[in-house]
Amino acid sequence: MTEQTAESVDPVPQLTVFVVDDDADVRAAITLGLERRGYVVESHASARAFLERPHPERPGCLVLDYGLPGMNGLELQQVLNRQDRPLPIIFISGHGAVPQAVQAIKGGAVDFLEKPFRQSVLVERIDAAFAQLRDLISQREALRRNTARLASLTTRERQIVRHMVGHPAEISSKEIAAKLGISPRTVDHHRARILEKTAMSSAAELIAFVQRHGLG
Amino acid sequence: MNRSLGALLAVGLAGLQFLAVLAVVFSSYVTSERALVRHARDLLRDVGVNTGAHSMGFLSPAQGAAELAARLAQSDVVASDDPAALEKLLFQQLQLAPQFAGLYFGGQDGSFVYVMRSGDSAGPFRTKIITQRGGRRQVEVLWRDDAFRLRSRSSLQDDAYDPRLRPWYAKAKAARGTIWTDPYIFFTSQQPGITLAAPVMGGNDVLRGVVGVDIEISSLSDFLARLTIGKHGRALIVNRNGDVLAHPEPQLIKTRAADGGLRFTNLDEIGDPISRAAFAASWHDGVVALPGAQSLEREFVHQGSNYLSVLQPLDSDQLPWIIGVYAPENDFIGDLKRNRTVNIVLAALVSLLTGLLGLALAEYIHRPVRAFAVRSALISQGEMDPDTPPPRTYRELARANDALVREIVARRQTELEYGQALDNSPTAIARVALESGAIERVNRQFCLLTGHDRDSLTAMALADLCAPGDRGEDDLADGERLWRRADGSLIWVALNGMLIHDDAGRPRHRVMLAENITPRKQMEAELDRLRSDLSHLVRVSTMGEMAAGLAHELNQPLAAIAQNSDTARLILSEHPDVDPVLDRLLLAIEEQSLNAGSIIRALRSFINKDAGERSRFELGPLLEQSLKLVRGEASDAGICIRPEVCDEPLLVEGNRVQIAQVVLNLLRNAVEAMAGRPGRIWLRVTAGAGALTVTVEDDGPGVTPGLTLFSQFETSKPGGMGLGLSICQSIVEAHGGRIWHEPRPGGGSRFHFTLPQGGAGAAEEA
Repeated sequence: MTEQTAESVDPVPQLTVFVVDDDADVRAAITLGLERRGYVVESHASARAFLERPHPERPGCLVLDYGLPGMNGLELQQVLNRQDRPLPIIFISGHGAVPQAVQAIKGGAVDFLEKPFRQSVLVERIDAAFAQLRDLISQREALRRNTARLASLTTRERQIVRHMVGHPAEISSKEIAAKLGISPRTVDHHRARILEKTAMSSAAELIAFVQRHGLG
Repeated sequence: MNRSLGALLAVGLAGLQFLAVLAVVFSSYVTSERALVRHARDLLRDVGVNTGAHSMGFLSPAQGAAELAARLAQSDVVASDDPAALEKLLFQQLQLAPQFAGLYFGGQDGSFVYVMRSGDSAGPFRTKIITQRGGRRQVEVLWRDDAFRLRSRSSLQDDAYDPRLRPWYAKAKAARGTIWTDPYIFFTSQQPGITLAAPVMGGNDVLRGVVGVDIEISSLSDFLARLTIGKHGRALIVNRNGDVLAHPEPQLIKTRAADGGLRFTNLDEIGDPISRAAFAASWHDGVVALPGAQSLEREFVHQGSNYLSVLQPLDSDQLPWIIGVYAPENDFIGDLKRNRTVNIVLAALVSLLTGLLGLALAEYIHRPVRAFAVRSALISQGEMDPDTPPPRTYRELARANDALVREIVARRQTELEYGQALDNSPTAIARVALESGAIERVNRQFCLLTGHDRDSLTAMALADLCAPGDRGEDDLADGERLWRRADGSLIWVALNGMLIHDDAGRPRHRVMLAENITPRKQMEAELDRLRSDLSHLVRVSTMGEMAAGLAHELNQPLAAIAQNSDTARLILSEHPDVDPVLDRLLLAIEEQSLNAGSIIRALRSFINKDAGERSRFELGPLLEQSLKLVRGEASDAGICIRPEVCDEPLLVEGNRVQIAQVVLNLLRNAVEAMAGRPGRIWLRVTAGAGALTVTVEDDGPGVTPGLTLFSQFETSKPGGMGLGLSICQSIVEAHGGRIWHEPRPGGGSRFHFTLPQGGAGAAEEA
C-alpha cells in the first residue's frame, strides 16, 4: 500500500475498492483476495449501506452485485450517475442475463462479470478502472487549473480569446487587430501574454480548451 | 274417390232408365216365350192323343167285324162248313168299313174262304174258296159286284195255300182269343196293313177255325199328312220294333226287302232325319221304349234349330205302337223372337232418346254446381275477389259457398301472415322433404346465410349444402354442420329440426332452423389454441425459471470458492517451503468452480432460447380470453370477476402467450387467495404515458407481511413452488415492463404490471 502511494507520481489520493454484495461469503472472499493483493477495500451488504458510507469523498471503484435485494445494482448505478463524483463500476452478477449487462454498460459500467469469475480478471478490471479514474482526476485537476488561469485574463485579452474561438479561421494578429480596431503589434503582445498566463502551448490548444470548457 | 255430380246424374238419368227398359222387354219376352212353349207342348200332346184316338177308331171296327164273324160261325148261325154262307157273311162285313182290305175264314180241316177288295177289272170284290170234301181239295175264285152278284168264276188247280200254316192262324189258335199281327205290307195291294184274327170254337172247346180281317192302314198316313202342327210340325207312328207304320210322306215307309218283297222302313233308315232325331233318345237296340209306358216330352236340337217333341204310346193292350209328334220351336215362338229384336232396337232407341234427355237434364242441373266449383277454385287461388257476386245457383249451395268463401279468405290471410313471419324471421328456416331432404321452401335469412337464391336452393337437397368431407350419415339430424356457401366460403351452422304433422298425425315434412355459429366456433378455436400454448409455456417457463433461480443460488457459492482458492494460492506463494501440490489442488478447485459456472450458464442459455415469437397485438381480446379461461374456477369458488377494459384498441408488442400467462397467474393467485370465500376480482387496464398498466385487484385477505413476493421458491400457497410471480416478473421484465404489488385499501391486494404501449421501448431491445 505504501509502495503504491510512493510510486504514484501525481497528487491523486489513495484509491479504494468498494465491494457491494448481499452474499456475505462472496463479499468476504473478494475482500480478502483484494486486500491480500494490496488494495484498500471497503465492503457493504446493500446499496443503501454503500450510499450512507462514512467517507463518501474517498475516490475509488465499485464492485457491484447486480441482483441486490431492495435497491438493485442498476438502480444504484442511476443514483450514482446523478452525483458529481467519478466512481467506475464493475458489475458482478449471478444472473448474467444479456439484457441486464447491456443496460449496465449503457449506464457507464466498466464491465459486467458473471459469477463465478477469476480473481485475476477482476483485478485486471479494477486496475483498468483505477487508470481511468486517475486520468479523470488529472483531467479535472488540469481543467480546474486552466479555468483559474483564464479567469486571470484582462478584459482585452478575454476579447481577443473570444474572437479567436468565435472565428477560428481568422486568428492572425492582423485580422484580429482589424476586427478590434487596434494595432497588430498590440495583438501580438496580448497573445503572448495570454499563452503565458494560461500555460497553453499554442493558440489551437487554447481554442480547443475554451470551446470545450468555456471562458468561465 | 270423389264422384262427380255430373257423372252421377248422367248415369242415373240415362243409364238406369236404359236398364229399366231392357228389364221390362226381357221379362215380357221370357214370360211369353215360356207360355208359348208350354202351349206348343200341349198342342203336340193333343195331336198325339188325337192321332191315337184316330188310329184306334180306325182299327176298332175291324175287331168288331172279326169278332162278330167269329161268333156267328161259332154259334152255327153260319155253318163254317158252308162256304157260300160264309162268303156272304164275310162280304157283308167287308162292306162295313172301307179300310178293310179283306175278311177270311180258315177251317181246321184246311178249308178257306177269303173275300177281298179287288183292283181287277173282273169285279170289285174277289173271293177265294178252298174246300176239302171227301179228301178232295178244290180251289175256286169268284168275282162279284157291290151287290154280291157273281161276275165270273174260275178254278185254280195248283194252289197249295193252307190257312192252318199261316201265322195269324197259329197265333189265334195258340191264344184262343183275338190277336193282332205285326203290321206288314200286303202282298196284293202293296199297301201297309195289319191283320186281326179271332178263333172260332166248337163244342168241347175244340177249335173249328179262325176268322181274320186285313186292314189297310195307309189311310193313317193320309191322316197324318193332313194334320197341321204349327207350320212344320209332323206326327208319325212307329211300331215297337222301329218300323215306321205311318208317316205324312207315305212313300218313305216302304222299303224293298232282300227277297224282292216290300217291308216297312225302319227308324234307322227312314229318309226323314228329324223324325230319327225325335226318337233318338228312346230308340235303343232295335226297340222303341218309353219309360213306364208314359208319354215323353222332349226338346232336341237338329241342325241348329230347337225342336219340341212328344212321344206317346197307343192306348191299346195289343198294339205296341208309339205316336211321335214334333215341331220346330220357332213355329211357335219365331214371331216372338223376331219381335224381341224389334223390341230391343226399340228399347235402345227409347234409351238413347231418354239418355240424351237425361244428359241434357244432368247438364242443366249440374251447370250451376260447376260454375260454383270454378268460382271456389278461382277464389282459393286468389284470382277472384271473394266479394264478386256468385252465379245463380241453388239455395243450399249458396249458403255453403258463403261459409266456404269466408273460410278461404281467413285461410289466405293466415297463410299470408305466416309467410311474412317466416320470411322476415331473423332465423334461417328451410322446409325440407322427409326422406330425400329436398329443400321445398326457404326464407330470406336462409338465402342470406347460404348465399344462394331461392330458385337454386329449391333445386337442392339439404345435404348439398354440406362442405365436401363433412357429409354425415344423417344430414337431417340436429347438430353442427360445416356448410359451403355459394361463394365457396365455409360456415359452421347449428341445425335444429322439427317434424310437421298433418291432421291424421302422419309426418308431412321437416322444418329446419339453421344458426350461424361460425364466430363462436372461431372463438372456441382461438381459446383452445391459447390454452394449449399456455400449458406449453407454463412448462417451459417453469423450467427456465427454476434453472435461472438455481443458477443464481449456485453461482454465489461458486464465486466465493473461486475467489477463496485464488487468494489461498496467493498466500501460498509467499511461503516457498510449502508442498507445491497444495497450489495445484487450489488451482484445480478454482478451475472446477469456474467450470461449474460455465455449465450452469450453458444450461440457462439453452432454456432461454425459447423466448417465443413477438408480434404486435391488441391487449383487450387477449384479456377477455384469459378471463374466459379462469371464469370456470372463479364461478365454482363463488367469485365474480369484473373486467374494466377500455374500448379503444390497446396495442402491445410482445409474446401473446407469455403475457396471457402473466394475466392468468395473477388472476389465479387472486382466486386462490380468496381461500374459498366468495369475493370480487377486478381486472383493469389503464393507459399512461407510453405504457399500459394492467391491474389485478382482489378483496381477499391480502399478502402475508414479510413475504418477498417476486423471489423464487417463496410461496404462501401449500404445495406451491413459489415460481409463479417470479416467472411473471421474468416475462414482464423481458418485455421491458415492471411488476409490483401494493395492498388494497380496505383489504386485499393489487398487482400491477406495465407494458410499453405499441411495443415501443425496451421490448425491441430484448
